[in-house]
Order: sequence, then C-alpha cells, then structure tokens
Amino acid sequence: MKVTPDIIRCEFIGSELKVVKSTSSCVVGIKGKVIDETRNTFTILQDSKRKRIVKDISTFHFKFPDGTVMEVDGKLIVGRPEDRLKKCIRRLW
Amino acid sequence: MDKRVKHIAMQRIQILFTLARETYKEDPHLAQRYVDIARRIAMALRIRLPVEYRRQLCRHCKSFILPGVSCRVRIKQRREPHVVVTCMKCGGHMRIPLRKKEVKQA
Repeated sequence: MKVTPDIIRCEFIGSELKVVKSTSSCVVGIKGKVIDETRNTFTILQDSKRKRIVKDISTFHFKFPDGTVMEVDGKLIVGRPEDRLKKCIRRLW
Repeated sequence: MDKRVKHIAMQRIQILFTLARETYKEDPHLAQRYVDIARRIAMALRIRLPVEYRRQLCRHCKSFILPGVSCRVRIKQRREPHVVVTCMKCGGHMRIPLRKKEVKQA
C-alpha cells in the first residue's frame, strides 16, 4: 500500500490499530481490530472486549492487511466515514 | 482528483461488503452497520453499487441478506423465467429476470 495523503480517505474498519499518544493516559497502548467508526470515535475489539476511543485527542498506528504501518494524527480523521472521502486538507505534515 | 476518490470509494465498499459477510454469523447488527456505511459512501459520491453487491441487499428494507440464512431463493418458470428472492426480515420479494437483454444490431 502506497503512503499518500489519501490515507485520510481510506477504510479503517478491519485494520489493526494501536494508540501511541493521547492526552488521556488510560487509552495509550490499547491495540486491537477496529470494528466500528463514528464521527468522533473508533470502536476497538481488544481481547473480546469493546473499547471506544476518541479520535480527536489521540495519535494512532494503523496496520493494514497488507502489512504497512502508518502513523496518523487523530485530528485529521475526525468525520463520518462517508464524509471523510470528500475532506481535503492542505497541510498534512 | 474526482476519479481517484471514486476509486478509493469503490475499494472501501468492497472491503465493507466482505467484512459484512464474514461477521454476519457472529454479529448481524455489526454486519448491517457495515453495509449501511458502504451504501452511504456510494450515495455520497453518487456511485451505483455494482450488481453483485446490490443482490446482497434487500431492495425494500435495505438489510443485508445471505441466501439460505436470511433470504429464500426460488426459480420460477411461469410467465418469464425469473428468480424470486424473498427477504426473511421484511417479507418483500425481489425478482431477477433470467432472460438476457437482446443485443441491438447496428
């Protein structure tokens, strides 16, 4: 998978996620499979328990099925799954 | 630009439908949620869902259906030969004609 600014438009449901940075310390280190996505949160399946993580305050490591790992700032991916497709951002990094 | 985004959208729809198929046994509500997201993506970008995915949705209640689990599939010979798919959730019928469209000769 190519790493392009298009990562803010790709599908996160089904990928592996790890929280690496967050202003709330209790969610740092959570990892698991993303099973749902809303405008502001991800739902993650960790050891058969569902955890809900706020996007806005965290930084994530996504591992896609083909093995690529990406670090994404949560602020960039706030938005409903269908609205993220139309989103455009000038400065990514 | 627009073409690229539509291509991404198509990929996402593909991922969501395969995931819905996998998770339907364990959690039908989650599978329904995946399908709803896929449909909303298609509507937002004005893409028509491909035939193979349209056949996995009930035409009336838009719920995810699997042959033998949540829908009934029968072949009818009367009138025009056609397939009737009955949704077990809403009870609605979908009819798919079996005769191919005649190719117009120029």
